[in-house]
Amino acid sequence: MGREVSESCIDSLLTEMVSTYCNRFYANKPELAARRIEAIGYQVGHQLSERYTMERPRFSDHLEAIKFICKDFWFELFKKQIDNLKTNHRGTFVLQDNRFRWLTTMSIEQPPENGTSEELSIAADNKALQSMHLYFPCGIIRGALSNLGIPCAVSADISNLPACSFVVRIKA
Amino acid sequence: MIVCVAVVGHQNNPLYIQSFTDADDALKLHHIVHCSLDVVDERVNNPKKSGPTLNDTFLGLLYPTENYKVYGYLTNTKVKFILVTTDLDVRDADVRNEVPCCIC
Repeated sequence: MGREVSESCIDSLLTEMVSTYCNRFYANKPELAARRIEAIGYQVGHQLSERYTMERPRFSDHLEAIKFICKDFWFELFKKQIDNLKTNHRGTFVLQDNRFRWLTTMSIEQPPENGTSEELSIAADNKALQSMHLYFPCGIIRGALSNLGIPCAVSADISNLPACSFVVRIKA
Repeated sequence: MIVCVAVVGHQNNPLYIQSFTDADDALKLHHIVHCSLDVVDERVNNPKKSGPTLNDTFLGLLYPTENYKVYGYLTNTKVKFILVTTDLDVRDADVRNEVPCCIC
């Protein structure tokens, strides 16, 4: 439906957004940069969920809404569905994507086992930078769920790239 | 003939109201739309009475008044579309088809 944009444009835009917020706008305040990026994602998710739920029947419960995020919503955004969904049936859901599209262009550097402290700190920095890129999709998920009436908190976990998990905690 | 269309947000805040008749009728139509919001909430919160149409977005005829019929449509994001018509012999199915066109 409507107009389309090339994927490389989106990739460039997202990379540039993270880099600008981290290095120019909030240079020494990664917390604030993260929060701003997440807020942008929240807006986007809010509006996208409105558009993608247009034709479908309403959801009967939280699980239905999460399944919609895993299947239709994720498919619209990334042309694939979430690979694995886990829940503890008490308001926490883990959505695992084995090959997250926006991280495919990121290098995977294994930190050296017995590296010097300098190498380890560089590895830690890289990890922090990679996790910055995940605030936007976390915001998208949070925005989409909030618009469906489910307030929640979303965090991401990239312990093994290129797979990445999003942990959704529904606020009671 | 449709005399009034209203779009109401998820906190029952009016987003758009447009009436298609003479000006002095407009307030009455606004009242009708306001009352129909209660009916929508009732339908959504009473799963036993709704029966098989629980998860349908189109809520059907909400209630008839003396001259008008009021139809409702509820999206997943709790945005309500209210349609007030004067056609006394309009069928549910016709209105059901018209609403998705309005959204797009």
